[in-house]
Amino acid sequence: MRPALKLGGLILVGAGLGLVSALAMLNQGMNIGKETVQGWVGSHVSGDRTADPYTRALVARAGLLALTQAETLYFNRTTDETGKPLRADCTYQLEGGAQPARWWSVTIYAADNYLPVNGDDAQSADAMRVAALAKPDDQGRWTVQVSPQKGEATHWISSKNSGNYALTLRLYNPQEGARKDFKSIAFPTLKTISCPRTPA
Amino acid sequence: MKPLIKSLIKSLMIVLVTAVVVHLAVILSAPNLLMAVAFKRLSAEGKMVNQMIHPPRTTEASRAIVRPSPDLAYSSCAYDLSKGPVRVKAAKATDYMSVSVYAANSDNIFAINDRQAPDGVDLIIVGKGQVAPAGTAIVVQSPTQRGIVLERRLAPSAEAFAVAELARKQDVCAPL
Repeated sequence: MRPALKLGGLILVGAGLGLVSALAMLNQGMNIGKETVQGWVGSHVSGDRTADPYTRALVARAGLLALTQAETLYFNRTTDETGKPLRADCTYQLEGGAQPARWWSVTIYAADNYLPVNGDDAQSADAMRVAALAKPDDQGRWTVQVSPQKGEATHWISSKNSGNYALTLRLYNPQEGARKDFKSIAFPTLKTISCPRTPA
Repeated sequence: MKPLIKSLIKSLMIVLVTAVVVHLAVILSAPNLLMAVAFKRLSAEGKMVNQMIHPPRTTEASRAIVRPSPDLAYSSCAYDLSKGPVRVKAAKATDYMSVSVYAANSDNIFAINDRQAPDGVDLIIVGKGQVAPAGTAIVVQSPTQRGIVLERRLAPSAEAFAVAELARKQDVCAPL
């Protein structure tokens, strides 16, 4: 009885370790992928059938039913311009120009991979709405404020109640050059405008 | 002393091997398990299989699929080929639209967009050993009996969503 009990206990401990380590692996999937350019993390293999088991599992966890690279490039960012994690109580400015794609969007996701629940109905910016709000002399440049309150901003993404959030850039029908070389993409830049001294 | 060390090493090995096996099993089965959950959600617990469903505009309350885009109108069809091939039609779009097919292991086995299909999409999904009728323009071979079709239409505003809503009413997902 006792050796069997001991064996059972050891197997239980091992199974627990295996489960916890696998789930930890899956839950840190916010930064799927291998290449970081200007703070934006992209993957050359997501949506690819040859992706390794870890990438496959991570994509299934944080990007199930995602599109292939020809259809869409996904980039994720969880840090500010100095590499510190994005904070829900800070105000950031996202600035960019035309993206090498047919259509683009930037969307905020809370740590649970869903849209933050805050009642603000301001979860994204996209090429169509940015163009509609742009002035003729803007030359395709746009700015979007990411902050817990709208303030004076014309175009904003609400970070209220978003915790450790991520910004996801989608490039729909990207140009081939952008697909092959992420470094060729003129990514939107992120700038910290203000941060409360102590995190709320 | 020696037997004690020996037994300790043996114990550690048992823990380690079990941990590695369980870890790999979870990682390898994650895509299938997560797809099974998505299939259940997108088919109303299996009640709405082989039919196109058109959920309302994505909001902060949307929880069916991770990372939904609030700028797209999503339609989906949880397909089951056990009784034969399934036909999928997506009405033509004036802006970005795509139809993708995912097998039960989460592989994106097919994708087409409005530029490649300017008159709309018309395809037939066949399972192992099934054949599509002669003359079918697009045949998608599904390695698994079940899977999910996901359609995306660009809809960043309420007006754009209304346009997509009108178009997608003509979409079809049905057994042949």
